[in-house]
Order: sequence, then structure tokens, then C-alpha cells
Amino acid sequence: MVKKENTELGLILLKNVQDAMKAERILKLKNFEAKLVAPPPEVRVGCDLALEINIIDSYGAETVLKQYGVIAFDILSLKNTQLKPLDIIQEQDFKDYLLIKAGHMKLTFAKETGEIVNISGGGCPDIPYLALNMVGKRLDEISQPEDLGQTLCALMLQRAYEKAIKIFKV
Amino acid sequence: MLIIIGTLPVKTMSLTQGFCVFKNGKLEIDGLTLPLINGTSIVMAAASIACEHIGIEKPYVIVAGDIGSGDGSNQLYRFLRNTNFDIAKKSCKNVITMSYLKPNILYAKDVVTALKKRINDILIADSGSMYVAKAAGIAKDFDLFTPDLGEMAFLADHEAIHPAYVRNYIFNSKNDVPGLIAKAYGSHDAAKSLIIKGVSDYVVEDGKIVAQISEPCVPTLEPIGGTGDSLLGIVSALVASGHKIIDSSIIACKTNRLMGALSNPDPATKVWEILRYIPDALNSSIKI
Repeated sequence: MVKKENTELGLILLKNVQDAMKAERILKLKNFEAKLVAPPPEVRVGCDLALEINIIDSYGAETVLKQYGVIAFDILSLKNTQLKPLDIIQEQDFKDYLLIKAGHMKLTFAKETGEIVNISGGGCPDIPYLALNMVGKRLDEISQPEDLGQTLCALMLQRAYEKAIKIFKV
Repeated sequence: MLIIIGTLPVKTMSLTQGFCVFKNGKLEIDGLTLPLINGTSIVMAAASIACEHIGIEKPYVIVAGDIGSGDGSNQLYRFLRNTNFDIAKKSCKNVITMSYLKPNILYAKDVVTALKKRINDILIADSGSMYVAKAAGIAKDFDLFTPDLGEMAFLADHEAIHPAYVRNYIFNSKNDVPGLIAKAYGSHDAAKSLIIKGVSDYVVEDGKIVAQISEPCVPTLEPIGGTGDSLLGIVSALVASGHKIIDSSIIACKTNRLMGALSNPDPATKVWEILRYIPDALNSSIKI
């Protein structure tokens, strides 16, 4: 496979992490190559995400996102930031419970019932909100973190959630 | 005076301040009942219990509702960077603990510049407030951070602007605690002191490990959300009572572990169910 030069890459900037997560899901569904990365230093605030795409797809991607109600506030060329969200997922067994770690976020559920019994780690303000809305409910009966959360901590919790529900459904 | 600043998961709550009390399982600011969930409310509850037990003034809290948009965090940043921070003027030495603010690098720099004008005050940060301090390059202006191992990997990765962006090879070296400490201090991305929370807790001063606390070992504390918040509340209360930061850190680590051991938790236990063991745990850990 030929490695793409930076000049082929573009960044879609969105107003918040929640929109970036939605945009990634939509673009992948529509067969675009899209990857979540850090925004460039001059526009980042510390808890934000951008979507790296092939620059030649940028117009089409923007149009598709508009159709789904996701508005990009800017599209930049170049700038491969190198930084992308952590993708390490780990499991820890506690007999009747399984703990899933995605980076610094942890989700623990009861193996038999699928009830989320605890959420820990993270430090953005939507994590307590997500805990209020998810703990005590079954994995397959809740709104996903990406629907309720708006930060990078929520993105990592989404990854833990996806792993947890995959294991629970087996 | 202990001043706790942070967000609560209440969408419509505007900036609210006052002394906080945790009694009979209820957390209140001047009669207003607040939700009890991991995050700032547990910091406040644990600090309230510890302050009362130690015999010092109740914690003063400044909070705003934020469910992730950053609105409440921004209200707090704007409040703190202005000079209306009158409550801090009542004491010549305050302990200011910040928690669960959504990172905003520009605001955070302004706030710390304003707070540092009061040279005797002690600044403590965890969670989002610690993330933004590191990302903004102002970590060394803080006296204490309380990261877990994943967050320690973030402090050790100079390029990372949030724990979600830690590079895999650094995250995978998170059991090499001395290595992470050296990296974080080498790039000025750590506070003067650290409590690194994990299977063993490490207390660090100016880049050197000064204590390692491993007992009692309660593995089931790891899944329980908010045990880092209880530790933050306890250590803040101890520092506010006049203990040195390192002594406070060691006592707080022992207390948090003893609280866990006394409560005999399982992975489904909620942190607010075990806070009532703080007084007994404090008694024992101060004696050890």
C-alpha cells in the first residue's frame, strides 16, 4: 500500500466532540475513509476532535454531513497532526463482573444481566452525567455515550461500551 | 479555608456558591440539595466529612452545571479570572481544589494567572482541571495533582493534550511509574507534588518518589467510580487543616484504602455508600 502524502489529507473541524463522533460514524457508513485526530494546535482548546479525510473527498463529505444535520465549521488541507485517540482496550475479570478499560475510562458490567454497575476514570464534565444516565441500566437498553456525551472522555467511554456490548451479546 | 471548584451534572444549574454539608447521605449547599454521583459532588462530600472530623471549617464550594458542553465550566473560568473572588480574601491561606472543568486552554491560563496573585494559596487539581493545566503548559503552577496511571501516562506524554490522545507506546509503559515521573517532570508537565493512584499509590515531590502505599490492597475499589474523587476531597481537607502536602498525601492514600477495606465492597458498590467509613479510616491512618 502506498503511504499517502500529507498533501492528500484534509481535516474537517466540527464544533464539538459529539459532532465529530457522529460525523465519523456517518462518513464510515457512507464508505469514506475518515479517522478521528487532534485538531491543529492553533485551533485546539484541549478537549476537541477533528476528522482526517482524503482532501479530495472533502466536498462530498461535507455534503453528506449536511444531509445528516452535522455542520463542519471549517475544512483545512494538509496538517497531519500525528495525534489520534488512543485505541487500547483491556479487560479485567471480577468473577460476576467484567471491567472494560478504554484508555483512562472504565466501564464495569454484570456478566449475567448486562447491568452497568460502575463507570470510573475520566475527568470531563459529561462523565458524571453519563454515569447518572447509564449506571444501573442494561447495556442493551441505554443511550450510547456518543449520544449523550460531548467530550473526549465520552469518546473513550463509547469505545469501552462498544467492547462491553459485543462481549455481552456473545 | 478549603475552596472546591467544579462542575455538577445538572444542565440548568447556574453558578452557585456556599458552604457545603454532607449529612445522612445528602449533599447540600446552603439548603440546596445536589445530586450524588462520581465527580465534584463526591469531592465535596468526602471533603465535608473529613473537614468535620478533623475539626476545621466546612468546605466552601463554587460550582456550576455542565453536562459536557462546557457552558458551566466557562462560567466558572470567567468568574475566577475576574477579581470577584472575594471569598478567598477572607483567609490569608486558602487551599483551592479544582475538579471536572472542561478543558479550555485560554481560560485556564487566565484563571491561574489570577489565582497565583495570592501567593500563599495552594492549588490542587484533578481530572479535567489537571488535563487543561498540563495542556496549557501551566502544570508547574499547581502544588498537587492526583492522576491515576492512565492520567500519569498523559502527563508523561508531552505531545498529548488530553488523556485520550496519549500515544500507545507511552500508555503501554504505564507500569513503569518512575519512567513516567521522569518524563512528566522532564517536560514540566507535572505539579510540584503528585499522588499517583493505582495498585500501589505513589507520593511524589519534585520528581522524586517519597512514599509508596500498597496496603490495605482492595482490588474491588478499581471499578468503583469516584474513589479518586474521595481521595481528592480527603487530601484537600488535610492540607487545609495545616498538614504539609506530602504528609497529607500519605495519610489520604491510607485513609482511602482503609475506607475501602472497612466497607468490604464489591464491583457494584457505589462510592457514596462507603464515604461514611472516612472518619474511622482517618483515625487509623493518622495513627499509622
